Order: sequence, then structure tokens, then C-alpha cells
Amino acid sequence: MGQLNLNRVQKFYGTFEVLKGIDLEVRNGEFVVFVGPSGCGKSTLLRMIAGLDETSSGDILIEGKRVNDLPPVKRGIAMVFQSYALYPHMTVFENIAFPLRVERMAEEKLKAKVENAARILHLDQRLQQKPGMLSGGQRQRVAIGRAIVREPKIFLFDEPLSNLDAALRADMRIELAKLHRQLQATMIYVTHDQVEAMTMADRIVVLNAGEIAQTGAPLELYHKPANTFVAGFIGNPKMNFLPVTCKGVSDAGVEVDYKGQTAIIPVTPHSDLVGRALTLGVRPEHILLGTGDLSLTVRPSVIERLGAHTVAYAAIGGEGENFCAMLPGTAAIRPEEVVETGIRTADCHLFDEKGIALERRVELTDIDLGVLDPAAA
Amino acid sequence: MSQPAMINRYRWYELVAIYCGIFVFLAFILAPFVEGFLVSLKPLGLLFSSPYKFWPQNGSFAAYKSMWVSVPGFARYIFNSFFISSIVTAIVLVLVVPAAYAFARFKFRGSGALLAAFLAVNMFSGAVLLIPLFRLMRSLGVLNTYFAMIVPGVAFLIPSAIWLLRTYMMRIPRELDEAAFVDGASHFYTLRRVILPIAMPGITVVAITTFIGSYAQQFIFALTFNSKTEYMPLPVGLFAYFGRQEVIWNELMAASFVGIAPAVILIFLMQRYLVAGLTAGAVKQ
Repeated sequence: MGQLNLNRVQKFYGTFEVLKGIDLEVRNGEFVVFVGPSGCGKSTLLRMIAGLDETSSGDILIEGKRVNDLPPVKRGIAMVFQSYALYPHMTVFENIAFPLRVERMAEEKLKAKVENAARILHLDQRLQQKPGMLSGGQRQRVAIGRAIVREPKIFLFDEPLSNLDAALRADMRIELAKLHRQLQATMIYVTHDQVEAMTMADRIVVLNAGEIAQTGAPLELYHKPANTFVAGFIGNPKMNFLPVTCKGVSDAGVEVDYKGQTAIIPVTPHSDLVGRALTLGVRPEHILLGTGDLSLTVRPSVIERLGAHTVAYAAIGGEGENFCAMLPGTAAIRPEEVVETGIRTADCHLFDEKGIALERRVELTDIDLGVLDPAAA
Repeated sequence: MSQPAMINRYRWYELVAIYCGIFVFLAFILAPFVEGFLVSLKPLGLLFSSPYKFWPQNGSFAAYKSMWVSVPGFARYIFNSFFISSIVTAIVLVLVVPAAYAFARFKFRGSGALLAAFLAVNMFSGAVLLIPLFRLMRSLGVLNTYFAMIVPGVAFLIPSAIWLLRTYMMRIPRELDEAAFVDGASHFYTLRRVILPIAMPGITVVAITTFIGSYAQQFIFALTFNSKTEYMPLPVGLFAYFGRQEVIWNELMAASFVGIAPAVILIFLMQRYLVAGLTAGAVKQ
């Protein structure tokens, strides 16, 4: 019921192009997360789908019907705002009932619906209170309740958890995931928090400067980022990038040279790579103590011990760029003491001069069954 | 004993300076009232005794009784003042609430210019425009009616009311409008069910300032546009105590206090609605 299609959707503010032709298909029942840095246009895109912002060109289709010129209520969407946007003078009951009151629904039916929504969101005991008396998490649940009662085809969430503290955010994340399973509704969720994106999404849309950088399942983005932007954006701490040159191309992959060391990275090569400058990407969590296929000698300047991990930062190559390693457990390293680290070529990502990834030879199904095909899970 | 917060702690000489400052300004505001009240208690004959006695000897509330006899129409004047101010306030609110909402929320061509024009109009005192207004009223044939005192009053009070309420409404988070819009509410529905209740403290402020403003400006409009005794508002009505031979000062003062009493009571009642922090919980601040 809640299928959404975006066809070459553009948005201009004056002559400034905020969204540069977005094409996207969201299937019914899917949980899609728009993620990206501030100013990438993710909230604008959501507001355009909601009908709060005008679409400059392109089509927005909900269930195959063009909705560009329809007001939000006729699009069959409901939206949850970052700031909750509750009506402070109304009780929780009236807040949730607001959309139904607008429809002039009969009192009995309205009451049943509101109480049902309150039960789903564990707000039964709070119905007669005002929003001012509720905690942040409860307020957010009221805002979600107001969206639920309308039984929309598509739920839109605009950074709904960013005002909550860390612990509450983790709880709400789980509750939202449950709610999605319970309602089987299409949900589109905007966030700048990649943890929210990775944990809740069926599919993530990474936006960068008004364009879709990559669309894919969370682990697909993690293991096969399409470009340096996605590679750097997904994953925390950020992926390390090392400048390398291409020495040769073979069936086994691409042979690269990093400061005199050579290694064959198992990626699908383009033609005409030999001699070019490439970027080698390796995630901090894939750096090993000791030696690997490539070794790096670093002198960590700062070490963060998190218990489960030890994160070390070091400047390498004099470019001022921090090299970061995340080692499991409590690693035996000290600040300002030289340490030998290694990288396995199987963990490496390789990007060409334009920052486009050369496809890694990893089968995602080997990593996690059913990542690519949700039906197989 | 609880200590005041650190930020509210002062040294003794700072406290002395603060209270001295307060006293100086309060003296200027309150001394006329105190003196007026004392005069109202004195018998007329003792008012001009020499040397002047500040405290009334054998003072009484006799003037508060005799004032109704000296000027029989006085109750009517109070009613007129009250009536004119109430109608003015009601009309101003009905016009200003949607206007302020529009100025606060919608972008339309000329909204900035209009607001600037309102401010400019406010700078003209009503007195400058009295003669043109008089000619206008005369050609419309509405001199010597309530209408002549109400309409200019409304016209002069609308600009400042719009400015006041617009500023208040701009502080109401826009997400509330957007949320209501997404849920299918029309602009009028949103205004009535969402914005109005939240803006109530702001509307009360506007109502009070408008009421007071209307009370204050009645004098000049009533004096010029009205010559019928039965339509006289209080400020003009007080002139009735200025006799040909002498001014009945004690009754005049008593009448002044009685005259403003209804307005004072009303404003005290309305103050109840000036609840701060009514938007608490609407959005995360």
C-alpha cells in the first residue's frame, strides 16, 4: 500500500540547487533511512515528500499517483517532527486525537483509535496529562501516536530521536524497530546519526550535497561503499585513506604500491589503471597489531580506552591526517611509543582518482545471509 | 533561612542604592495618587488652609457620597468610558489576532512595508490628525455619537497591537503549524485550535494595553468629536466638577478614584491569564 517513487526530483532555492535530481523507489513496508551530513538536503527531501516544501521539478508518486500538488493530508503520509511539535494546551489524548478531530470523526470511533494507539506506545496511563509533564521520550511517543492514528500509507520521521539523551535514544530505536514490524508500514526516516541508520534501516540512502551517494542495505554500505564519501561516512571511527599507486592489474586484483611495499588488493579492476594514483581505504577496526599483508609503523599520539576497544590516533606521512586504529580489548600500546600495525588485503577498499570504488570481491551473502534479499531472511 | 542564589547576592551599600533608586521613581509615580486620595478625604473648606496641612484633619469619606449629587450624570460617564473602551478592545482583538497571525506566519508582498507604515502611523499623535478627522466625521455625519469616539480609537490602537501580538506569535514554534497542516487542518482551524490558546497570554497583554490606551485617548476624541453630555466619557465628565466659581476639588479627586476603579478591577482580573510558560512542552528547547 505504501509505495513511493521519486523521479528526477529537484529543488532550487533561488538559483541554488539543493537537490540534484533524486531517483528513488521505496517499496511497500520498507524502512528507509536518509542519512547524510548537515546541509545535504535530506530534511528538504523529506519535507517535499510530506508536502511541506514545494518540489521544483520532477515527480513524487505515492502508490503510482503523482502527489506533487496535493496537500499533505491527501498524500496519505504522517510526519513526526524533530521538535515533537505537540500542542502544549491539549492533553495527550487530545494531541493524539487531533488529526481525527480535524476529520470530524465520531467520538466513539475516535476514542477507540486513540486508546489503541496509546496502548501500542505505552501511553495508556498518560492520556489525561499535558505534554509539559512528560519526559522527552514520552513526548516523542505522543508525537508518534498522532501519526499512528491516521493510519497513513507512509510514515515520515524527521530526526525524531536527536533531542533525546543517548540512553533514551537507544531505547526508542528498539521501540521504533518493533513498531515498524508491528505496523508493517512504509517508513522514511531522516537522521544524521549513522548508528540509527545502520540499526533500523532495511535500506539506507546516503545523501551528499544534494545527490544520492549510494543506496543499499546497511551492511552493503559498510562492506561495499561505492565511493570515498560513503566509505568515510559509514563506519565509526572514520575509514583511513592512504595514497597508493597502481603497479599492475591481474585476475587476482590490483597490485598497489604504498611507500615501497606492494600488495594485491582483491578488487575488480578498471582498464587503464596502471601507474595511476589510487586511494586505499581501510577501516580502523581492520588494523591489526603486528604485521599483515601491508605493514605500517606508527607512533600514536592519543589513545582512547573504551574497554571493549582501544582506539589509537597517529599522524602518518606528515599530511596531518590522522590515522586511526581500533584494536579489540585492551591493547598493549602506549602514547608516543612506536608500534607495528598491519593490514590484510582482504579488508582493503580501493578507490580511483575520482573517489569511485573498484568493486571488492566479497560476497555479501558470505558475511550475512539475507542482507541483499530481505525475503530470504 | 534560605540564602538567595549567588547571582542575587548584594552588598549592603548596593541594596541601599537599589532601594533609594526605587524610592525616587516610585515617589514621582505615587505621590500624586497619595495627595489626590488625601485631598478627596478633606472637607473643601480646609483644602486651602494656610499653612497647608498634608494630613487631613477631621477627614471623612463624605466627598465620595456628595460627588454623585453634585454631578448626577457621573455614573453614566463611567459607563461610557467603560463601554467605549470595551468595544474598542473587542474590535481591535477581532481584527488584530488574524492580522498578527498573518504577519507572523505568511510571507506576502508588502508585509514589511505595511509593518513599517504601521509604526510610522503610531508616531503621529492623534492630536495632529484631529482637524482632518473632525472634517471627515462631520461629512460622514457621525459627530456626537459613540461611533465617533470608537472608530478613531480602534484605528489608532491597531498598529501597536499588531506589532505586539506579531512578536508574540513569532515565538510560537512554526512546527506546530506544520504539524497541524500535515494532519489536514486549515489555517483557520489551526489558528482557532492551536495558535489562539497558546497565544492567550500575548492576547491578554494586547487586550490590556488596548483597553488602557483607549481609556487614555478618549479624552481628546471625546472633547473634539462629541458635545452631547450623555455620551461623555469619564475624563471629560470630570470637568463637570469644575464649577463657574470654584472647583470642587475633593469631589473631583473622589470621582477620579471611583471612575478608574472598574478598569483597575478588570485589569486585575485579566492579569490571571498572563500565565508565562504556557508553551512548555510544545517543542524541545
